[in-house]
Amino acid sequence: MTDTALQIIVIGVLGLVGVGLYGLLAVRNLIKVIVALQIAVKGVLLGLVAAGMASGQPNLGESLAVTVIVADTIVAVVGLALAVQVRRHVGTLDIKALSSLQR
Amino acid sequence: MANSLIILLVIGLPWAGALVVWLVGDRRPGWQHRLAVLFSAAAAVVATVLLFGATDRPVLTIPLGPVFGDMTFIPDGLAALLTAIAAIIGCLAVIFSMDYMRGEQQLGRYYALVLFFIGAMIGLVLSGSLLQMFFFWEITALCSYALISFNNDDPKAVAGGIKALVVTTLGGVGLLIGALVIVGYTGSYQIADFLAQAHTLPADVLALIAFGFLLAAAAKSAQFPFQTWLPGAMEAPSPISALIHAATMVNAGVYLLFRFYPAFAAVPNWTAAVTLVGLASVLLAGLMALAAHDLKRALAFSTISQLGYMVYAIGAGGLFASQFHLLSHAVFKALLFLAAGAVIHAAGTRDMRLMGGLGQKMPLVRAVFVIGALALAGVPILNGFWSKELVLEAGLVSDTPWVIGAILGAGLTALYTARMIGLVFHGQPRSELPAHDAPPAMRFSLVVLAAGALTTWLLVGPLSALFARTLSAVYGIHALTLLEMIEEVLATPATWLVLLLVALGFAAWQQRSWLAGLAKALAPIAWVASHDFGFEWLNRQIVRVTMGTAEVTRITQTGVLGWNVVGIIGGLIVVLALLVLVWGA
Repeated sequence: MTDTALQIIVIGVLGLVGVGLYGLLAVRNLIKVIVALQIAVKGVLLGLVAAGMASGQPNLGESLAVTVIVADTIVAVVGLALAVQVRRHVGTLDIKALSSLQR
Repeated sequence: MANSLIILLVIGLPWAGALVVWLVGDRRPGWQHRLAVLFSAAAAVVATVLLFGATDRPVLTIPLGPVFGDMTFIPDGLAALLTAIAAIIGCLAVIFSMDYMRGEQQLGRYYALVLFFIGAMIGLVLSGSLLQMFFFWEITALCSYALISFNNDDPKAVAGGIKALVVTTLGGVGLLIGALVIVGYTGSYQIADFLAQAHTLPADVLALIAFGFLLAAAAKSAQFPFQTWLPGAMEAPSPISALIHAATMVNAGVYLLFRFYPAFAAVPNWTAAVTLVGLASVLLAGLMALAAHDLKRALAFSTISQLGYMVYAIGAGGLFASQFHLLSHAVFKALLFLAAGAVIHAAGTRDMRLMGGLGQKMPLVRAVFVIGALALAGVPILNGFWSKELVLEAGLVSDTPWVIGAILGAGLTALYTARMIGLVFHGQPRSELPAHDAPPAMRFSLVVLAAGALTTWLLVGPLSALFARTLSAVYGIHALTLLEMIEEVLATPATWLVLLLVALGFAAWQQRSWLAGLAKALAPIAWVASHDFGFEWLNRQIVRVTMGTAEVTRITQTGVLGWNVVGIIGGLIVVLALLVLVWGA
């Protein structure tokens, strides 16, 4: 893998993670929070595969990526299920309104 | 003699009992009472057997792998004595509870925690490994907290429990830090290994460990300046005060100092610090006991004061004296707390100002309370007399001027003891209180303990022989026969001085109307003493600062999901970056 390709991938990783983190901070809808988290994790996946390639251990990078996909899917499923329950019980998906620590 | 089965039984029986009593359920309180007594009595029998099979070798080793070392159980003389105290007084407290807790809600929780505590206390003293000791140490703190707050709809009980938990856990941190440093330097969790290698450790490291352990001991044994949690712990039911806050858990600090004394004795200023902590507790708590109006709080202050004598004895090098006083104190103070429990159970109040003249209505309780109180004051020939004289003799031998304070403390003890008896049992009734003598199960516990307060000093011969047999190699304890002890005590000038002071203390209470002018002159001291010498104020300031800081840092707790997730991810990135930087370099 050439340096240029690696640079492009790193920019992609940073971009995806950045978009995800920005989304986490900016959006107030619980579903959108989960979507933002997914975007950030996809950036991490890309990073894992690229790091495997760059260090000459593509198998390691890919198997880590698969593990992360499995864990991440569970997070998404549980998160969405919680969102459904929250909507049913509280009647809103606005995370600012859900917060009970604020005064 | 002692084999692994006995060890498993003496810890396992109370723990199994805890589970069984809890599973029986609160719908069958009769069975809960009986099963709790059965299991605790069985543990007491096994603990007595263990006393005859004491050895300085580990009799049970459970390997936990290379990281956590081995769990070892070593029933040497010290451990066997404290096991017997925990199991036997535990059993008597459970028997007392049959009457005391009759008709209470949630007996399952009560008995389960008491039995869990007894097992944990026994595990603590039998531990040969530091990690295991810490583990049991924290279980006892947790049980103590849960039992102080047993009446969890009473805010005072909950506050008292939390205070006890916070202070003793703070001490636990000292123990943990000390233990981890020891493991870091010696590479072994075994206490015996540390005692053998202690002189090879760098001096400043050893000092850190020694003072860390002193902190732990002072917090656990409610010694100066951590004494404030024990009076708050008096919200617990009386059998709990007798078992945990007089006879067993509060002794864990003294036990810790004894156990590690050979390693720390050479640390500069350590023995002086121990002596002073003990002496400050003796005198301050004695004054506070004199000013207290609550019967159980007065007893709690006297517990702090007597524990101070034990700590003082260790500082002065009187190791056996400290444990002998521990035995005497466990018996007579458990007796006093249980008798106070009988009074409170009947009268429905703890305020001594409302009592008075109760002696005629409850003659048996008065008789046993007076026996316990005389032992506490150190009147011959009760057990407290002999053990306190041994402590003071150790103080004399160590040749420091501090012994004068300890001797004065004995006079103070007599004065507050006389005040307690006078206010509760004698004089004219100061209010209409319902009073009746103790029911049968209470009577049994009280009479057994009263007999103990009269006789346990006769055990000095076998007990010191046991200590000498299993502990002489490391601790240098010599056997002392009964006759030798009597000769030694009678030949010490301090004994006669103390007896004079004790008599003066009693006389001062008797003639208090003559001394009214003096009492008025001392009123400021009494006012300060009844306000805990400002320690409560200090505690409130600590709480205030903590709450203020929390208010300020609250701004970081937005409660908004997005920020929390970003915080977690940011934290992960920092940790990863650190790992890469450290490992990559």
